[in-house]
Amino acid sequence: MVSIELLVQQIINGLFFGGQLALLAVGFTLIWGVARVLNFAHGGVFMMGAYIGAFAIIATDNWLIAIFLGMTVTFLIGLGTEAFLIRPLRGRQEFDIAAIIATLGLWFTLEHSMRLLFTSQQRSVNPITREIWIIQDIVINVNRLLVFLISIFAIGLLFMLIKYTKFGLAVRAAAEDDQTTELMGVDLPRTYAITFGISTALAGLAGVLLGPIFSVYPSVGDRPFLLAFIVVMIGGLGSVRGTLIAALTLAVIRAVALIWTSAEGAMIILFAFMAAVLILSPEGIGGWLES
Amino acid sequence: MNVDTLSILFNRVWDDVKVKLRTTTGKAITVGFLLAFVVPLIAGGYQLNVATQALIFILVVTSWNFIAGNFGILTFAHAALFGVGGYSAAILAAEFGIPVVVSVFLAGLVTAAFSLPMAVSLLHLRGAYVAMLTIAYAEIIFSASVILRDITGGPTGYSGFPVPFGGDRVLLYYFVLIVVAVLVALQYLVSINRFGLVARAIRESEEAAQMLGNNTRRYKLAGFVFGSTVAGIAGGLQAYNIRIISPPVLGLERMIEFMAMGIVGGIRSLSGGILGTLVVYGLMEVLRPIGASRLLVWGIVLIVAILYFPNGLIVSKKQLGSVRNRAVEWIWDLF
Repeated sequence: MVSIELLVQQIINGLFFGGQLALLAVGFTLIWGVARVLNFAHGGVFMMGAYIGAFAIIATDNWLIAIFLGMTVTFLIGLGTEAFLIRPLRGRQEFDIAAIIATLGLWFTLEHSMRLLFTSQQRSVNPITREIWIIQDIVINVNRLLVFLISIFAIGLLFMLIKYTKFGLAVRAAAEDDQTTELMGVDLPRTYAITFGISTALAGLAGVLLGPIFSVYPSVGDRPFLLAFIVVMIGGLGSVRGTLIAALTLAVIRAVALIWTSAEGAMIILFAFMAAVLILSPEGIGGWLES
Repeated sequence: MNVDTLSILFNRVWDDVKVKLRTTTGKAITVGFLLAFVVPLIAGGYQLNVATQALIFILVVTSWNFIAGNFGILTFAHAALFGVGGYSAAILAAEFGIPVVVSVFLAGLVTAAFSLPMAVSLLHLRGAYVAMLTIAYAEIIFSASVILRDITGGPTGYSGFPVPFGGDRVLLYYFVLIVVAVLVALQYLVSINRFGLVARAIRESEEAAQMLGNNTRRYKLAGFVFGSTVAGIAGGLQAYNIRIISPPVLGLERMIEFMAMGIVGGIRSLSGGILGTLVVYGLMEVLRPIGASRLLVWGIVLIVAILYFPNGLIVSKKQLGSVRNRAVEWIWDLF
């Protein structure tokens, strides 16, 4: 029998991880919802954020500088990806598939350039704080708690941006009907580029924050990306709210499953769940909630 | 089917082959096939292993092209099914004492059995959704190959299964060459006949193909299972070629390598798959001295291919011209 402490511990661990996963997944679902791009380089961008954050912290020991640099560079990567990689493909008959292939290429390019530059060696990074709270045998890692809070704060900002600004209105309109939106005078290429930048900047932020937890190496983004991918498929592609709910739920399910099974076993369970959702309701839980 | 339809079929194929043999591609494939027979006379040791590997890749890439190019079903499960074939052949030979040559084809049947439920669940999905669902299947098979230690040997892989032809690499090469040639030819025959026509009609517009009275679901099902079976046989050959089969063989990275080869050559034709495999795999072997960072080239190759040669090198004479013109213009603009 599993002790209650272990169960509660794993639920808390899962919830914290879910917040970070949501940060990665929300950007991924946003860019699909608005521009119909399944960005397979999202894990690679996460990895870039982790490296930039690690170097900034080693150089300055200041988290604000690390977050600022990490987000700026990954924002620029997003802009560049949209302008030079995705825009030329637009208008092709099978645009969604061409975009998948192009971003897969970008993922490989990012990962292996970092391997070429900095080898495969794992770098450890100092966390924001090493403090630990113990409440009735339950360990709360304060660094992870802070990372969770920052993630939720960033996602909240994104919600407000989409809901209350003029840019957010353009984004929602473009997701609904791009041609009409363009006729209404919205600069579509610019909207796509900025949305792409915001999406990758969120991945970059996740990378900076998770560097100390995962340590930093060229393929550090692969597993978080696959998890974010599952989350987005289950939460409903393009549904930011469904993604947030799915991220928290799935991370808790995964953490609890890890009591009994290995990381690969948990992946099988999650991917099987994802396949079932895709077969039964391709719009995911988000689509099901809204219908 | 009676003798008449068979003779019509035969004549149609024969006419097509006569025309195709006169094209550059046809001549190149004929010459390449004849050259492949003399490879063991001039190449030995490591070079022969590279040649055997190239043949196996040709088989798996053409079978991916068969599904993705003809039907427009962008499957990511192909490397996983290739791995299923590899594990099946090795396990059948080691645990059940089935002869090596037979085990390769039985591995194809096992792979077909794996691919059938996948195909059924893919029928109602399109475009990017097919990619998503097949990634889920591929990752389930990958994770299963890691944790099912009793069956697959876990992360270190499965080895110590019987060696084919008493370890004679030359005989293995010829065996691989024959199997690959026959299966590529078979895929070609299927592609140029009614089946291939309907498949391409489905790619362009499934509704229109349905309207013309075709049971498109049955065609998609048969096409996916057939291509996967070929991938399984290729996986069986791969197991005997490298004599160990481990989880990385069926990982997502391997899938991307197959896709890079198929896309560079041209996803829409089998000859594109052959050309792409030779170009990309050849490039990788040439770059072997620079070590692991040559994997960077896979990424760059994919990006350049999708941006500038979306239909592959096989049909890109005109496009090459336009790239050259653009480069010339760009250089002129500098002055």
